[in-house]
Amino acid sequence: MSLKHDIEFALNGVRKRVAVDVTMTALDMLRDVVGLTGTKYGCGEGECGACTIRVDGQTVNACLMFAVACDGHDIVTIEGLAADPKADALREAFVEHGAVQCGFCTPGMVVQAAHILETNPNADAATIKRGLEGNLCRCTGYKKIVDAVESACCGGR
Amino acid sequence: MNRETIVGTSAPRVDVRDKATGQALYAADIDLPGMLYGKVVRCWEHAHARVVRLDLSAAAKSPGVVRVLGPQDVTANRYNSSVLDLMVSEQMHDMLGDIEDQRIFTDHVKFQGDAICGIIAKSEEAAERAAAKVIVEYEPLPVYLTADASKQPDAIRFTPEKPGNLAFQLPEPMFPGHALGGGDVEAAMRDADLVVEDVFYVPKQKQCQMEPHAYIAKLDSTGRLNCWTSSQMPKLVQAKLAKLFGLPMSLVKVTPTVIGGGFGTRLGLISEPQACAMAMSVPGHAVKLLTLREEDWVISPSRHPGKYWMKIGFRKDGTPLACDARFENYKGGYYLDASGTAFTAGAWLGGMYKFPALRYKGESYFTNQGLTGAYRGYGNPQTNFVLEQLIDRACAQMGADPVEWRKQWHKGVGDDGWCPGVTYPSCALDECLDRGAAAIGWSEKRRQYAHQSGTVRRGVGVAVMNHTSGAMPMLLEHTACTVKLNEDATAEILFACSDMGQGSHTALKQIAAETLGFPFDHVQLSSGTSDVAGFDIGAHASRTIYVGGAAVKKACEDVRRQLLERAGRHLQVSPDELDIRDKRIFVKADPARAIEAETITRAGVYHFIDPATGQAGGEPGQIQGYVSFFAPHNSPPFGASFAEVEVDTETGEVRVLELVNAHDIGRAINPAAVEGQLEGGIQQGLGFVLSEEMYYDGNGRILNNSFTDYKMFGPSDMPKITTILVEDPDPVGPFGAKSVGESGLVSPVGAVANAIFNAIGIQFTEAPITPEKVLKGILEQGVRDYGSIGGAH
Ligand code: FES
Ligand code: FES
Repeated sequence: MSLKHDIEFALNGVRKRVAVDVTMTALDMLRDVVGLTGTKYGCGEGECGACTIRVDGQTVNACLMFAVACDGHDIVTIEGLAADPKADALREAFVEHGAVQCGFCTPGMVVQAAHILETNPNADAATIKRGLEGNLCRCTGYKKIVDAVESACCGGR
Repeated sequence: MNRETIVGTSAPRVDVRDKATGQALYAADIDLPGMLYGKVVRCWEHAHARVVRLDLSAAAKSPGVVRVLGPQDVTANRYNSSVLDLMVSEQMHDMLGDIEDQRIFTDHVKFQGDAICGIIAKSEEAAERAAAKVIVEYEPLPVYLTADASKQPDAIRFTPEKPGNLAFQLPEPMFPGHALGGGDVEAAMRDADLVVEDVFYVPKQKQCQMEPHAYIAKLDSTGRLNCWTSSQMPKLVQAKLAKLFGLPMSLVKVTPTVIGGGFGTRLGLISEPQACAMAMSVPGHAVKLLTLREEDWVISPSRHPGKYWMKIGFRKDGTPLACDARFENYKGGYYLDASGTAFTAGAWLGGMYKFPALRYKGESYFTNQGLTGAYRGYGNPQTNFVLEQLIDRACAQMGADPVEWRKQWHKGVGDDGWCPGVTYPSCALDECLDRGAAAIGWSEKRRQYAHQSGTVRRGVGVAVMNHTSGAMPMLLEHTACTVKLNEDATAEILFACSDMGQGSHTALKQIAAETLGFPFDHVQLSSGTSDVAGFDIGAHASRTIYVGGAAVKKACEDVRRQLLERAGRHLQVSPDELDIRDKRIFVKADPARAIEAETITRAGVYHFIDPATGQAGGEPGQIQGYVSFFAPHNSPPFGASFAEVEVDTETGEVRVLELVNAHDIGRAINPAAVEGQLEGGIQQGLGFVLSEEMYYDGNGRILNNSFTDYKMFGPSDMPKITTILVEDPDPVGPFGAKSVGESGLVSPVGAVANAIFNAIGIQFTEAPITPEKVLKGILEQGVRDYGSIGGAH
């Protein structure tokens, strides 16, 4: 049987204590233990980016991270970003540019895009594309996603 | 000038804010109290085998397990997971024969991933642990991966009803000689000055929708079977589940969940039968069935791969005389929709050019590859890869310009479309070709690239396509729609067809608001659940706007008529003299004479008789509109794609620099959503032609069921994209709209292949055209200047 482990971390700015199996991924913990289902399972192998979250300011595939590794860290999910006024312009850009179709890739995309803009506020299209390389989308052909991020970057200026 | 104010605008999508904040609930996100978890145990070792022993006893004793289910523990009824059987007439049904060849759990494994048994446990982990304890012994059977292998006389039959493992060929009574077309092909070929002919291979491409399949099922205390699913066809799933489990439809309720991409893979059933069988065994408990990505690859149907032979004859002056073709597809282990692609691949062929003689044969053979079924384009990209390359081969040899040749010989208004007798009501393909050519700089670049030197070569190519708007007349085209007016004159529309993310519900709301004369925000549209929504086929065949939109429009016209009649009696004018704008009903000739729609709707609901006078306050009755709509016609869209590529002759790599997609869509109800369809289509079309294929080892086990090993175009791989919406309103479609859902991916396929031909003078007969194939081609044939081929200049 699996071992339980108590962990404590900041989740979207709020302290959180949970007991998790040592084998559990951060993705399963967020979705099944904490109940935040905005972060998606798309592949479980670090290939699609649907599970992108931020850990201490860096983006991470939650499916590749053990839940116990969240202990003591600062975790931000799409739900945290949704409540963050700084991310408003980016989210609205996704909405207005038609960058969202089925929406399954969108939470991961938005988290990754927010990270790109924060680390590189003047990112051009090529930089944005490179930054989104780990986030797969099967609906949009990426054009409107890149346009949206670019507009949030330049429009926000 | 269009007089519409809502149709034709890029109204904000209704569903996207929830999606952008992570609040949209997909099936896997739904959590019900006391939920149990299901796991389907699949055969991963073999693609063809018989189960000789199944021992569930250890699994049953595993901690947390609630039930284990083998083939004996579920209904023995067979089913067909596609929905084809529900969409054809009885007469056609007879021609197809018995096509229900699937079981919930099987003892004859026909593809890797076939379902063997099921586990229900208190947690996902417990179910996984128990699954590992299931003991299955197999007797391996010979594995047939191609039609050539499975059609051998000594091959094991996949089903007794289909000799030679020929799942389907065009049926004789309907298609004499098992062929579609007409005219004397043999004689016409004899008259030809030029004949081009080749055998092609088209790939097994996967939809790769980003949301893995997920279900919840529950048998509730009233004996009703509930299923939450992201199927593209909730109403047909309801009918299928009712039949499979022998329940009246009133005891099956399907709740559609947000769809994380479909592209055809969610047409009909996938694991609904297993999820529901599990739920039936634990009444009162919801059972959640999730799918791992590596499992998703093998259990849901892919595009049909196969061998595609074609021969086309021309006169010296370019006149096409005849086309002869045969597409032999590798169906996979079960029938599903075996008649579908085998037919449509030829239908698009017949719908494209003015061949005086045409003979197309389409056949589906069972194989031990993974299932095949619907995938966006449905036979059309296969035909595009073959037909459009052969046309360009002929153009090069005849010295004809590929754009001009296509303009001269494509079918147009009044010609038979993909089905004889259903003529094209509109066609703006010439404008697509002209505007696309201008956008890519066709003439200059063709001149420039005819003669090149160096190791990196460039080319531009063109391809055209026709598609469909709904499936009339081949398949049932029926949609019911209800529109209810609330007392405050807002409208609520019930329309069962799902929005897979393409924005169809937003566009339908625009159609409704426009028709009613109500503001966009005063109209709501939902697919409801299967118990409240009327009949609808579902989202397939690019039908949602063309057929569904027409249904929504008609139901709204019904409401509008009722409103105008009541307003007319109030204003004492004939309803014909009235119009509605912003919910205000006014006399067209005297707009000051008016009544608010809300005055009518309120009086209709809150209806009282004045006790003093006995006078009624307005007319009683809540207004509802309804239609049970059958599409009267089919107005296919056309498209022209132009690609510019760069081929590195040392590495074999092909880089697509630009892709122009010019599309004759009739009318864009929501231009941004239409662009989104074309752009997304390009990504999948480029994958078909350059990078995407499911590979199997000799035993039929998949080699690349992961996003690392199956290469889709990523953001940096994508070329510069230009979409051109050619709007020439169709006389039949709602507000002039034709379809756009599938067609965007079709002609990029031929355009890229032809651009490669233009760059290095080599045609590739196997898709995807990977760097290995390019290098091999160069090694065998050598790079040739396009300008030096035949009469090309
Ligand atoms: S689910 Fe984590 S990268 Fe795909
Ligand atoms: S919007 Fe569907 S996967 Fe990106």
